[in-house]
Amino acid sequence: MLIPRRVKHRKQHHPGRTGAAKGGTAIAFGDFGIQAVEPAYVTNRQIESARIAMTRHIKRGGKVWINIYPDRPLTKKPAETRMGSGKGSPEWWVANVKPGRVMFELSGVSEPIAREAMRRAMHKLPMKCRFVRREEVS
Amino acid sequence: MSEVRIVAESRTEFGKGAARRIRRDKKVPAVLYGHGTEPRHISLPGHELMLALKTANVLLTLDINGSDELALPRDVQRDPIRGYLEHVDLVVVTRGEKVTVDIPIHVTGEPAPDTLVNLDLTALSVEAEATHIPTGIDVSVDGLGGGDQVHAKDVTLPSGVTLVTDPDALVVAISAAPTAEQLEAELAEAEAEVGIVHEVSDEEQAAQAAAGDEAAAGSAEGSDAGEKAES
Repeated sequence: MLIPRRVKHRKQHHPGRTGAAKGGTAIAFGDFGIQAVEPAYVTNRQIESARIAMTRHIKRGGKVWINIYPDRPLTKKPAETRMGSGKGSPEWWVANVKPGRVMFELSGVSEPIAREAMRRAMHKLPMKCRFVRREEVS
Repeated sequence: MSEVRIVAESRTEFGKGAARRIRRDKKVPAVLYGHGTEPRHISLPGHELMLALKTANVLLTLDINGSDELALPRDVQRDPIRGYLEHVDLVVVTRGEKVTVDIPIHVTGEPAPDTLVNLDLTALSVEAEATHIPTGIDVSVDGLGGGDQVHAKDVTLPSGVTLVTDPDALVVAISAAPTAEQLEAELAEAEAEVGIVHEVSDEEQAAQAAAGDEAAAGSAEGSDAGEKAES
């Protein structure tokens, strides 16, 4: 699973969730992609589950790229704890994904197979997504 | 090479308010520059421009206040979510002029079995006559095996087109596909890390039950034979 090897600060504020993606909105490596339509925090487990679902469907035929990285820690206070006494302990690693971001890319397979593989992967993700194709036009 | 004629209007007001008013009228704000001329701010009909830009490096003939200008799209800004055109940069060209443009690469043919095609460059930068820009370049990977590479210098270009990209740049690399065992081992490890447990399907359950019954019957027959031998 994707986890940062070393971080400057163990606990961070919650990442902002407003606005659209500023970059990474086009397909850069593959032929097909999954684009986020809503903002969400995507955990490293969700990223890995989506990758496994995609790879299981395409079998040995293609290549998968992951364009997001879960570099933001989210904390959680233990259950039945009174408020105060400092921030909770890090619980998840998330990627702060904003609408328009192409999160996964795929190449080396036909479009029907890519569509089905990505449909399966989208079920593992916490937001509405859509299938996109490489645009050859300027 | 297609050439599309579009009627353009000059823009007199600028800024995001004016740009949004233009977009609300189903038009696209654009700027036209090049050849040392002053930039000209224009607006173009949205639907016609969208259809024209479906072709890569389309040559546009702009009718601006009765005078014609040839132009190529330099930069197209689209809304990342809805995909509509926000703004277009157009560069002025003349007939017979050589321009540097990016031409998309199309991979054709089937490589050897059990290989993967990795497209490293999706477009080649070439110099071509503005009125004769190819729409795409075909790169054949027919029969190529694992470890084979196609460089920019190996690509066959149409006549009148010269390469601008580094000739040694890698365009396509063919690599061996992972074996079924390698892939299964990698996925099993990843699934164990995430904690994914596969549910046994009804068919698998039935097959397991049938196998269990056969084994039990076999062991029962064996024990009967053993008892008889002892007696």
